Amino acid sequence: MPVSAIADVTLAAGGWVITKDMSDDAADVQRVLAGDVDAYAALVDRYYDRCARFAVRMLGNRDDAEDALQATFLRAYRALDRYQERDRFSAWLYRILVNQCRSIAARRAHRERVFVREEALLLNAPDRSVGWSGEDEEFVQRVLSELDPLLREAFLLKYIEEMSYEEMSALTGVGVSALKMRVKRACDRLRERWERIKHD
Amino acid sequence: MIDSEQHTYIDMIAREARRPVATDRAARERIMTLVRSEPAPHRRSSVWAAIFQPRFSLSPAVSTLLAAGLVGIGVIAGAFAMNRDGHQVGQPRFAAAQRLPVSDTVVKFVFVAPQAEHVSLVGDFNGWDASKTPMVRSEHSGLWTVTLPLPEGRHLYAFVVDGNSWSADPNAPFAPDDGFGHANSVRIVNRGS
Amino acid sequence: MKRSSLRSLPLRAGALLCLAAVPAVAQETDPFNKLDPNNRFSIELMIDSARNAGLPSDALRSLALEGIALKIDGKRIVDRVRREFTLLRTARTTLGPVSDEEVKAAAAVLNSGAKPAQLAAFKTREQGRSDLQAFTIWADLITRGVPSEEASSAISKLWEDGADDAIFYGLWKSVQTDISQGLNPGAALQNRIRETPVRTPQSKGAPPEG
Repeated sequence: MPVSAIADVTLAAGGWVITKDMSDDAADVQRVLAGDVDAYAALVDRYYDRCARFAVRMLGNRDDAEDALQATFLRAYRALDRYQERDRFSAWLYRILVNQCRSIAARRAHRERVFVREEALLLNAPDRSVGWSGEDEEFVQRVLSELDPLLREAFLLKYIEEMSYEEMSALTGVGVSALKMRVKRACDRLRERWERIKHD
Repeated sequence: MIDSEQHTYIDMIAREARRPVATDRAARERIMTLVRSEPAPHRRSSVWAAIFQPRFSLSPAVSTLLAAGLVGIGVIAGAFAMNRDGHQVGQPRFAAAQRLPVSDTVVKFVFVAPQAEHVSLVGDFNGWDASKTPMVRSEHSGLWTVTLPLPEGRHLYAFVVDGNSWSADPNAPFAPDDGFGHANSVRIVNRGS
Repeated sequence: MKRSSLRSLPLRAGALLCLAAVPAVAQETDPFNKLDPNNRFSIELMIDSARNAGLPSDALRSLALEGIALKIDGKRIVDRVRREFTLLRTARTTLGPVSDEEVKAAAAVLNSGAKPAQLAAFKTREQGRSDLQAFTIWADLITRGVPSEEASSAISKLWEDGADDAIFYGLWKSVQTDISQGLNPGAALQNRIRETPVRTPQSKGAPPEG
């Protein structure tokens, strides 16, 4: 039951923090389990964009990302009865997403493509900052796609999803020190890349 | 600036990668269509608790950060669309085959500027650096010349007069406007020409 | 050597002048250091992507260096380099596996206003025949005001008829002279085309290269 009266962030017993979104998540899950399928749309709407960002960065192209997203939300729906309320919904969802991305990447290892944006399709993107344009996305994606998948995954979870190592560990099932090593190696690779780019 | 460059690079990658990606409603609707044709998930009857049981212990401060970082809405879909190529353009496999032989040809450049005190040749062969290839004025005329070895192929160039005035070669074909307000000149160098 | 400051002054001034004239090598080693880091990042990534895609990245680097030498605003350099990347890519897609020099020359043709479809005549390769001169003249004529369609069809026709570098150069020389003397560029081209001698094509039957 959404507690709209509470402040956006409150401390609960046990050191956990409840936000309005979290209570919305649990409420929506309950509604779906009670038979209201359309309540699932609220969950999809809430998390789709963020999951899409991870999937695209991880897999490097739109098609694979959409497959991963579709599979993720479908699996999440089927497994909703097994969702433990003690988990945060987003963490639970991300565990599914990360696994879906891994299996799609494994199946399509030989067809890794980097998407290319056609200039003609550029809509009126607002000028975000001087010297910085949306088209850099293509190039950054290319650089990310060159990272080993496990390193890329760790880098994305740390720097793009901005998770803590404990959270990443719960999500991936990998130990914290191994994850720290992966993030470090990802950063090293990226720095090496930069040095190579600079020195032609 | 140089020291922090390495950190800057990671920051830039992260910052750019954090930008939202464009998503379309159709994909979301497809998901809902699939979901609606699924059997309903098994109904649970347990009482929902407003207080979650943590699976591992975290300090309240870290929890706050986690929640703030993870549970958020308001990701604005990007304003630009993306498309994908059916194939990757320009496979590197034939770039190597096209590498030209290394032998340079000696090429002469001539420019008429009787009033000038100093003329330099700039071009794609010297990084457009006016200090690299000064030209020599012939004693009796206003003719400035320089001779240098250039590899076979297409070269862009211009003349810089008295350090600040860029001029194309009136006796050579134009390259289209470079986008910086200049039309440079083109010299095709053939092997042994 | 301790002398009266007056006497040693000219020497010291001269020495200072010499020092001032010597470029500060340490800072000037890489002109790209003059770019704002964001702009530099964008440009370096494009150069790297070009190399990755089998496109002549030296064209992009050279363009950036030109902009830096001219003290152009960094954002404008980025935009121009990005445009060049697209032109190179289009040229490569249109022409197929041609040399880097040809890609650069074809990109210039597109930059001047020709359409990719107009490059079609140059797709077939023949032994020992370079289209660099043809592309260069083509881009020049459009830049001087010859309507794009007219220049394209004239150059393509000459190419298909087997014209060599000397013919293209001769055509260019005479048209350019006419234009500089006030003749309408399109008319100048048409006049000179009529006079242009074309060798009987010897190699038309040869199989395309590559």
